[in-house]
Amino acid sequence: MHSFSYVKATSVKQAVDLLAANAEAKLLSGGMTLIPTMKARLAQPSHLIDIAGIAELSGIEVKDGKLTIGAATKHVEVSRSAVVKKAIPALAYLAGHIGDPQVRNRGTIGGSLANNDPAADYPSAALSLGATIVTNKREIAADDYFQGMFATALDAGEMIVKIVFPVPAKAAYEKFPHPASGYAMAGAFVSQHGKTVRVAITGAGPGVFRWTEAEAALGKKLAAASVESLNVDASNLNEDMHGTKEYRANLAKVMTKRAVAKLGK
Amino acid sequence: MAKVELKINGKQHSFDVEDRTLLVNLIRDHAQLTGTHVGCDTSQCGACTIHMNGVAVKSCTVLAGQANGADITTIEGMAKGDKLHPVQQAFTECHALQCGFCTPGMIMAVSGFLKDNPKPTDEEIYRGLEGNLCRCTGYINIVKAVKQAAKAMSK
Amino acid sequence: MDQHQHHSQLFKVGNAQVSRFEDMRLITGNGKYSSDWNAPDQLHACFLRSDRAHARIVSINFDKLRQIKGVVGVYTGADAQAAGYLRAPSFLPPTGKGGMKARVPARPCLAIGKVRFVGDPVAMVVADSHLAAQDACELIEVVYEDLPAIVDPEEALKPGAPQLHDDVPGNCPVEAESGVEAPVMEAIAKAAHVTKITVDCTRVTASPMEPRAALIEYKADTDSYVVHTPSQGVNMTRKQFSTYANLGEEKFRVEIQDVGGGFGQRSTVYPEYVSMMMAAKALQRPIKWVSTRTESFLTDTHGRANLITITLAMDNNAQFTGMRVDWITDQGAYLSPTGPAGHIRNATTCMNGVYKIPALYGHFKVVLTNTGWVAAYRGAGRPDIAYAIERAVDAAALELNMDPADLRRRNYVPLNEYPYKSATGSTIEIADLPGLSEKALTLADWSGFEARRAASAKKGKLRGIGMSAVIEPTGAGTAPRDEIELTVNGDGQVTLHTVSHSQGQGHETSFAMVTASALGIPVEQIKVKQGDAERSVTMTGNHSGGSRTMVGAGTVCHIAANKLIDAGKSLAAEDLSVEPSQVNYAKGEFSSPHSKKKITLAQLAAKKKLSVIGEGTFTSTYPNGCHIAEVEVDPETGVTDIASYLSVDDYGHIVSHTIVEGQMHGAVVQGLGQVFGEHIVYDKDSGQMITGSFMDYVMPRAGKLKSIRMEEYTTLSKLGPLGIKGMGESGCTASLPALVGAVSNALGVRHLDMPLTPSKVWAAIQQKKSHLGNTH
Repeated sequence: MHSFSYVKATSVKQAVDLLAANAEAKLLSGGMTLIPTMKARLAQPSHLIDIAGIAELSGIEVKDGKLTIGAATKHVEVSRSAVVKKAIPALAYLAGHIGDPQVRNRGTIGGSLANNDPAADYPSAALSLGATIVTNKREIAADDYFQGMFATALDAGEMIVKIVFPVPAKAAYEKFPHPASGYAMAGAFVSQHGKTVRVAITGAGPGVFRWTEAEAALGKKLAAASVESLNVDASNLNEDMHGTKEYRANLAKVMTKRAVAKLGK
Repeated sequence: MAKVELKINGKQHSFDVEDRTLLVNLIRDHAQLTGTHVGCDTSQCGACTIHMNGVAVKSCTVLAGQANGADITTIEGMAKGDKLHPVQQAFTECHALQCGFCTPGMIMAVSGFLKDNPKPTDEEIYRGLEGNLCRCTGYINIVKAVKQAAKAMSK
Repeated sequence: MDQHQHHSQLFKVGNAQVSRFEDMRLITGNGKYSSDWNAPDQLHACFLRSDRAHARIVSINFDKLRQIKGVVGVYTGADAQAAGYLRAPSFLPPTGKGGMKARVPARPCLAIGKVRFVGDPVAMVVADSHLAAQDACELIEVVYEDLPAIVDPEEALKPGAPQLHDDVPGNCPVEAESGVEAPVMEAIAKAAHVTKITVDCTRVTASPMEPRAALIEYKADTDSYVVHTPSQGVNMTRKQFSTYANLGEEKFRVEIQDVGGGFGQRSTVYPEYVSMMMAAKALQRPIKWVSTRTESFLTDTHGRANLITITLAMDNNAQFTGMRVDWITDQGAYLSPTGPAGHIRNATTCMNGVYKIPALYGHFKVVLTNTGWVAAYRGAGRPDIAYAIERAVDAAALELNMDPADLRRRNYVPLNEYPYKSATGSTIEIADLPGLSEKALTLADWSGFEARRAASAKKGKLRGIGMSAVIEPTGAGTAPRDEIELTVNGDGQVTLHTVSHSQGQGHETSFAMVTASALGIPVEQIKVKQGDAERSVTMTGNHSGGSRTMVGAGTVCHIAANKLIDAGKSLAAEDLSVEPSQVNYAKGEFSSPHSKKKITLAQLAAKKKLSVIGEGTFTSTYPNGCHIAEVEVDPETGVTDIASYLSVDDYGHIVSHTIVEGQMHGAVVQGLGQVFGEHIVYDKDSGQMITGSFMDYVMPRAGKLKSIRMEEYTTLSKLGPLGIKGMGESGCTASLPALVGAVSNALGVRHLDMPLTPSKVWAAIQQKKSHLGNTH
């Protein structure tokens, strides 16, 4: 790791001010991605601003059909929260299947969304559920927020404060974990909101995306069979030694079918 | 430089370390508790697992500064005098270790997840061990040890 | 052990109960691995490594290092040249095919002039902290002139391929032969059926959980070195240091305690360690280095990497009449100590597998490529040859439309033909495959498989079954003998010294069990010590590799104990006022019916020095077994679940069932790792490693193999007094063909090369579907 200065922030304002004052500073939440990246000497921030202890970034609540989760909330907290389990059990399930237990004990929802790893789990939930990413400056709709591999709508100096999820009628998540890293090779988050169904696929492509053909078919009939004749366009998907584009397209479809099958339960 | 004050295995410590110091290096090099191991650089192997405020974390992916004020338990703090922790006892009785390098991390991870899930199913045990690699045992006896420890701890 | 559950052994250590003596320290965090050694005043080394696969070094610039506080020294190939640390120890058959002279390339401890794989060490920085050394390494500026790289061994052998070493033309250090070619070619020509199959026994890495590390101290008064580094045996380590550094073996003492896994990877003295010697001597301070896992992937010796073609000839009774083995062994950029010779020797010894094959011929091509070097890995050629033969037998059965169990039955060497002299010149002591495999087939309900396949199909799963019948040589060593020192202390405790070194196999327990049993005293009274610096110089013995330790050193524990009893009788005779021949010994006590006196071991040792060194020399034993695996493949995702796994093995006499079961679990799962995911992959064009971390290298995890039903079928070896056969590797040998066979069977294909990743299995299913679609 290169040298840097570690600063523990106590408020959002302080964190944002520190970011503004240091062009090469980075926010540190759980550090589950950032610290290994720095250990590989692939990132060289001048300052790490630790936001894990900021009170404004914590808390889970449901109000008016909306579930709000503070950005520094750890995966383990989301996975065990009675509030989340009641409102959107699929979200608790997703959080409980990120990485491994030790990672879930440190990693946070805000960190995951800010990093937007193309194989992370949370982006699929945020996109499928039509979440709103609330920052220190503004509110960003999930449809506008995710902008491809590790790219988001966040400006320099902007930080996520909380995430607001509309509570769906039904939702389910299924993922196929990468055999080595445990990240999603393909994950499908399916949610039903009134007559609308939204399907978000993570892991298979360069960034989370909506599978609109499946959404249309499932909007007509919410059954796994509805996607049987459809295929995810493989041309833009990832390919590596662990799977071809075609294999990932297949996984996206199979995970979607399995998520839909789970919806009914 | 950062001043880091924390409790390790019940004992209060104070260290002045570079900001980039990892918790695992603080434990190994500064507190000289070498039972906590480093087996990889990517947070995959879990050999460095310790308890931070009662929760299992990978100490290779925590900065010493982030642990300021924390209550840390390492493998050296698990036995009480010559009384082994039930997870330690189960690991030896089930022959759940061979070279022993992953074992401290395994024991810390297992004792961590058994707190939250005292009666895990087989599938839950596999998922509980997802953050830890072992090269010697094929995991079969580790799973056996987790079950035996769970049983012993529920008594 | 579903049916015959062995109760685990428990021993007392203080107030605790443990199943192995070493466990007590390992479960409490009191183990001492190589990175746990520190010396006052030590410095830290960090290596700058080549970031390209093949290049000329044009210049190296250190100017920027002045920016870093704490840097004490920098070393490069020029220093290696000056020190003469130019040739890593390695062994090749000295002459090959047609009298071809073997060509061993140089491997300086730091690259001179050229780098040959990604990770090749170019410079070493020594600083007062690890972080400073790391920072400094990044500031070294190397100008390279890139050369074309070659990572495919078949391509590397072709004319016009990039050449790695000027003195190894054609990238081929040696072509070797075993057996005789003509009779095999005649058998093939006359055969009723010939099966030909090429299998890729893929490149993997041992990945012991403890990364490599070393602390090297220089002793000015004796101009010698004390080395603390993971080792499979201190004598072997000293010998290799001596060869690499052109210094007498007496200049090296190895002092170690715990080793975090080995699997062959610790049987090499690496260039980093020898580089550190230069700094330790120049700076007169201890030098410490701890490898990162990324460095491990790049620079630890890799395993397997063999491309094997079997041509198997059969008569019209489906009896094997001859077999040709064409073997390309990719050794990476340099030759390691245990790489080529070990693979060729082990494959030759058991080239007939468990079968009667009257004519055998093996043709081995050793190849260099721009990749990490290859060495012994849990079996070192034994799993590779067994895998190739067993895949060929399965393919033959498929081609002949025969039950693979039946084809094997027709060809096993029967019990009454052992010791069996193979066509490659081995004498294989004893095995009973007909009996052993029938036991396995019955226990696995081989004949009832189709019903289980149908039941799986109802769930939408493809079920398959695979079997392997294997044998391998274990026990023969390279040291002239194995020694065990036993000393009785005044309190009756017996201290046992050995120079073999456990990397997790539990020698402290099994050696104590053998010794205690021979002496008739409680096992808690034996204290086993390994890795002692002084005895690393004075004692002789093999390293722990090739599953040899219980056959060699383990058996010598018994021999030494009996020698101790004899020595004790002589010493006790005086106290008992009789002749030594009139002294009896039992359960820790010497007595004589003549004088009606007695004296205990402790009493005797309190008066007189009671210490012996027992010794023995052993050739190979032949553990063997039959493993049967059933798998269920999910056709939607290509994921394979292991539905059942049965092993029936002949380990000879078992000292500790607990330890043998543990070894078998680990070995089978290590094989499973290679079958389902582990694979070291290099980019064909750039020569960069694609699988350089646990994020991409698929290690097996908990739950992949839920249980093994382990059964025994024993024939005793007469090689030693205990009847032991070495068994640490045999699980790996048996699991590769059984599992690949099961998946191939599930998919209805002749053969699929490892790793059988979900992606590859799914693609094979799709291909099969479209093929069926075309033909129907």
